[in-house]
Amino acid sequence: MSKHSPLSRWSIAARVLAALVGGYALAYGCTAFLSVYLPLARPDRVTFASLLSFAIWTAAVIYVFAARRARHVWLWLVGLTLLLCLAAFLPTQFGVRP
Amino acid sequence: MSLRQSMAGLHTWGGLLPSWLLYVIILAGTIACFDKELDRWMRPALHAGEQASMGADQVRDWLQRNVKDELHAFWMHPPTEREPYWRLGWEVDKTQRVQSIAFDPASGQPMAETVGGDFFFVLHYALHAGQAGIYIVGLAGMFMLVALVSGVIIHRRIFKDFFTLRPRANGQRAWLDAHNLFGVVGFPFHLVLAYTGVAIFVSSYMPAGLQVAYQNDVEHFFSEVMGAYHREELHRPAAPPVSLDALVAESRQRWGGGEPGWISVHHPGDASAVVDIRRFGTSRIAQPKETLTYDAASGELLHRQQAPAGYSTYSWLAGLHMAQFGGSLVRALYLLLGLAGCALLVGGIQVWLRKREARGGAGIGVVRALNGAVFAGLPLASLALLWGNRLIPAGLAERASAEAWVFVGSWLLVALWAVLARRQPRRLLSQQLALGAVLASGLPLLNGLTSAQGHLLASLPRGDWALAGVDLFLLAGGLLCALCAWHLAKPQAVAPARGRRVLAEEVA
Repeated sequence: MSKHSPLSRWSIAARVLAALVGGYALAYGCTAFLSVYLPLARPDRVTFASLLSFAIWTAAVIYVFAARRARHVWLWLVGLTLLLCLAAFLPTQFGVRP
Repeated sequence: MSLRQSMAGLHTWGGLLPSWLLYVIILAGTIACFDKELDRWMRPALHAGEQASMGADQVRDWLQRNVKDELHAFWMHPPTEREPYWRLGWEVDKTQRVQSIAFDPASGQPMAETVGGDFFFVLHYALHAGQAGIYIVGLAGMFMLVALVSGVIIHRRIFKDFFTLRPRANGQRAWLDAHNLFGVVGFPFHLVLAYTGVAIFVSSYMPAGLQVAYQNDVEHFFSEVMGAYHREELHRPAAPPVSLDALVAESRQRWGGGEPGWISVHHPGDASAVVDIRRFGTSRIAQPKETLTYDAASGELLHRQQAPAGYSTYSWLAGLHMAQFGGSLVRALYLLLGLAGCALLVGGIQVWLRKREARGGAGIGVVRALNGAVFAGLPLASLALLWGNRLIPAGLAERASAEAWVFVGSWLLVALWAVLARRQPRRLLSQQLALGAVLASGLPLLNGLTSAQGHLLASLPRGDWALAGVDLFLLAGGLLCALCAWHLAKPQAVAPARGRRVLAEEVA
């Protein structure tokens, strides 16, 4: 791949960063969101949401490297993470319901 | 760039970079499938197979006589079929340092210290690097998941390659066949083990739920999620404790005949002291979640564990990973598939290497040196550890650390050797295999010289397959190494030129 790759060093570094940090952030956001909004009791919400997080991170990594444009990757990752975290952390009383 | 091309790049580099670390994790985990059998091999006092006659109260008495510090907690394991002896561990208050002892079933005294089979278990999940190691292993597990998924995406002929092996094809193609074969055969296992592996430490890796739903209250989080009991310290001296053996007997009755697997006492010197008795079982994938909690002074039953559905799912996943169910057959299958995982990694690196050896490329020397240092280094150092286990005198102070230093020192030597000899990888490998053959096949002999009841001539006639199995495995491994070393030492035949089809995977 290295011989005929159109990717520059910097764009590869950007994708690696997006996969490691952005992918984790998205998994974190999804876990926080599901820990609040799943229609289950609190311990089950948290456990099932957390167990799912690794699948989300893996899928995010695959998406980061499969996507054509790096800008779209960052927009999706940052946007989704922000939305999910806002929805999860704003209603504090709803989040800690038993 | 097509999806297949970008995934090929991800698979190549995201697979190459962590592969030596993953090899260490997977091989250590593979060995740890039989950690308890290895543990018994490493403790000659257990070779005769005597039954322990102690009780939980005698174990606690030993602790009270010999350890005067204020304890945060202590815990013990009663004898089981695979571990026929009492184990005791304790943590001194405010030190977070854990110490442990194993009791000789015949004399009731502590056995000679050893790192035991547990050494490989800890190497597997934490690299002996504490919490930092747990995070490193978790990240490596994520790389493994990504490599598995991207590997499937670039692999079009997944069914056909199942039946394809061309050992006489040119090097790169043959190694790619091997990589594909082990990858396809082991895929479901490796995917499940990678996922369940990272899931075990989910509470360390993904604290989002703890933060948003429990507002970072760790005690509350764990007791609610596990359905367990927790009592804060009262800072008043404890009343004299009730008999642990009586609590064990009561627990057996309450479970309707189950066996205890773990007896732990929290804050034993404080009035808040509680005794947890965890049930043990091997008939299901998940360990039983029926822990009983008693007041340590009155013996009153305080709590019966009620695990929520989520925690039951979690412990099923963890049980699937830890292979404590179903007996030796399951563990043997895990061992074989774990070895297939190691072969998958080695094959993958060889594909990378052969392609670049043919057309030139950066990093060949580094990869070769790492291969020699890690792929051969870990098995050789593990064998050296077993030699150290028998040759270090039983009475030596800090004996377990001496064993660990044998492991570290011999690995460093092999690494140095691999770096110096990296320009002749074939000769290096042949010599390493020869050394492995000597070390592995020598161990059953050494066992015969150092243990009257442990050698094959004693263990086979009494049908002690758990102990004999370790020796037989070492003999078979030594023989295999010798054959491979002999094969590699023969002068290399010039491969006949063949018509070569270029496949998409090779270009990748």
